[in-house]
Amino acid sequence: MKTDQEARPDGRGLRQSMSDLHTWVGLLLGWVLYAMFLTGTVSYFKDELSQWMRPELPAQSGVPDQAVVAQRVADELVALVPGSPQWSLRLPDARNNSVYAFWRTAGTAPGQRGFGEGNFDPATGQTVSSRATLGGDFFYRFHFQFHYMPVVWGRWIAGIAAMFMLVAIVSGVITHKKIFVDFFTFRWGKGQRSWLDAHNALSVFGLPFHAMITYTGLVTLMALYMPWGQQVGIKTPAERQQFNAELSAFIQPGKPSGEAAPLASIEDMVRHAQERWGRDGVGRVTATHPGDAAARVAVARGDGGRVSMSPQYLEFEGTTGKLLAVHEGVGPAAETRGVLYALHLGRFSDTVTRWLYFLVSLAGTAMVGTGLVMWTVKRRQKLPDPARPHIGFHVVERLNIASIAGLSVAMAAFLWANRLLPETLADRANWEIHSFFIVWALTLLHGVLRPAKKAWVEQLWLAAALLALLPVLNAATTHRPLWRSLAEGDWVFVGMDLMCWALAALHAVLAVRTLRHRAKLRPARKPAPKTVNEPAGGAVLREG
Amino acid sequence: MTSVAGRVRSVGPLVSRIAAALFGGYALAALASVAVLALPMSTPQAVLTGEMASFIIYAAAVIWVFAVRSALRAWAGLLVVAAPLLLAAWSVW
Amino acid sequence: MTHLSSFILCLTGFAALAVAMDRPQHDLFGRSLPALATAALRVGGAASLLGALGLLVAWQGWALGLVMFSGHTSLGAGIVHGALIVRQRWVARSN
Repeated sequence: MKTDQEARPDGRGLRQSMSDLHTWVGLLLGWVLYAMFLTGTVSYFKDELSQWMRPELPAQSGVPDQAVVAQRVADELVALVPGSPQWSLRLPDARNNSVYAFWRTAGTAPGQRGFGEGNFDPATGQTVSSRATLGGDFFYRFHFQFHYMPVVWGRWIAGIAAMFMLVAIVSGVITHKKIFVDFFTFRWGKGQRSWLDAHNALSVFGLPFHAMITYTGLVTLMALYMPWGQQVGIKTPAERQQFNAELSAFIQPGKPSGEAAPLASIEDMVRHAQERWGRDGVGRVTATHPGDAAARVAVARGDGGRVSMSPQYLEFEGTTGKLLAVHEGVGPAAETRGVLYALHLGRFSDTVTRWLYFLVSLAGTAMVGTGLVMWTVKRRQKLPDPARPHIGFHVVERLNIASIAGLSVAMAAFLWANRLLPETLADRANWEIHSFFIVWALTLLHGVLRPAKKAWVEQLWLAAALLALLPVLNAATTHRPLWRSLAEGDWVFVGMDLMCWALAALHAVLAVRTLRHRAKLRPARKPAPKTVNEPAGGAVLREG
Repeated sequence: MTSVAGRVRSVGPLVSRIAAALFGGYALAALASVAVLALPMSTPQAVLTGEMASFIIYAAAVIWVFAVRSALRAWAGLLVVAAPLLLAAWSVW
Repeated sequence: MTHLSSFILCLTGFAALAVAMDRPQHDLFGRSLPALATAALRVGGAASLLGALGLLVAWQGWALGLVMFSGHTSLGAGIVHGALIVRQRWVARSN
């Protein structure tokens, strides 16, 4: 007890310990969190991004009849992967002009993993004739499982980061509870204060979202992080099946009969589901042991228009098309999970709600970014010799540059690679991803070699330039330049071009502000009023 | 030698707290997620309830560990909560 | 359309709530407003926010309505907050 008092001198209250906890928890995985936040934010538009990255696929003028498309792609899959014990396809909807399908490869036993995946053209049913790319799914997957490592490792890192975030949010609220009382009245102070203010403002008005998104993020992968209850309570295969039915519309393959029998009409099954959930309301068709007499087909409801991802599906006998069961309700806890899951992904959103998600999530990204930069701003003032900071400061400062400004550069470079890499390149989809990481590594190198302030400014300008020129590159390398997209009402491409310019402008503003910012070395000195304050949105980066 | 002892004495409680937060907190959350199975509800619902609640318990445990006055208190608090949970978990194991 | 009207209601609601506080009153008018005006602003602001919630829930039901309401309020509060800061800076600079 006595020893402990030494580590925590008297007079340090709850607020101080929570403040320290907030600082260190935030810093330790802040870079990971920033990357998760930013790539997660753009993932709200992952389907649109995928459309942009496959410019060969024509813009969708309306949602095609899902029943017809399902039959078409199912026929293709039957021919493409005969003997597959399970395949599943996601039907096109208002935001998505291709059919994503994955399948278990034939000959793998149920416990084993052997998967294939592909994108199919709804109009022909054939594999899409577009450049090989992972599309927006790269950012989406990176956001919770990173890359170049086993998926499970990535997910654990993401989970630990999310848990840190949750603690950072709670400790931040305890530290600054006063802000909530007089949110509209706190003043924007000087120097370091203005950093704190930007960070506070971004945190406070996005707080419901930040808390929600962090907690629900953990919930999406909770079976991985907290498997213990399941291990104790769910033991037999029957129990497992009952449990899975509460969570997912993917029916699992049982034992095949060994007797060949063709699938009945998938189109009729999807028609049945359309009568129930509306013309565009079907999400997914999963078949187990297609081509076998024991085949089963599940037609699941889409995610649009309902704030829940809990499974709703019709189960058919594969060879006759007879409706076996209607699964439309799950238990209360499973439904709660379905709602939390849906809140995280936001797939139910209409266009306006999606933009709200995007903007508030961007504020969350900026909150993490300002928090990281604040660590260096606060400490710079206390350095004994600001010209020669100690190694820890140095590391944080350089990592900040690469993980904030550098990530923008790398993400833009990923889109450039999508347009520039030759279509015939072997392993092309992966080279897009390698390009992203190569550029990101280069920004770290640049950040280490250049003086900190110059590195910030140069990288921000580079990101701005890459983004600003992306519509030009798109016009030069595809048949869908802005003027044509506008004339044809191709809003995905129009939106992408305009968004690139908006983000380029944001990066340019940050670059100018960073350039103008003068590091305040002595807290007593009053800085020039011009560089002191700035509105929340523009305050992501100012570093000296 | 004395300087090493001094270092241990000053850093020890902090390390102890960090361990309590990281591992003690996780253990408590995991224990709670199993203890929920003792509640009178169907097993799948109980499993999911436990999983969802566990992160809140974990976060609360971490806050507790750093909020109280000493590392010893932090551990004691975790143990006090863990004891009944352990009993409940034992009954369903 | 419902989105736009709800958003405007949220914006005006937060603006009214902000002006109902003492410090912004001093910043904007150089004095405290009468108690009656402050109370009216507070009630009006709250009513405005409730109106936005009502519109969205009537349109899309509780689940979607609440999610949309959260989005509109977050953005609305952020804009009001930003506007107050921009004004404060602007005043500080012109002095």
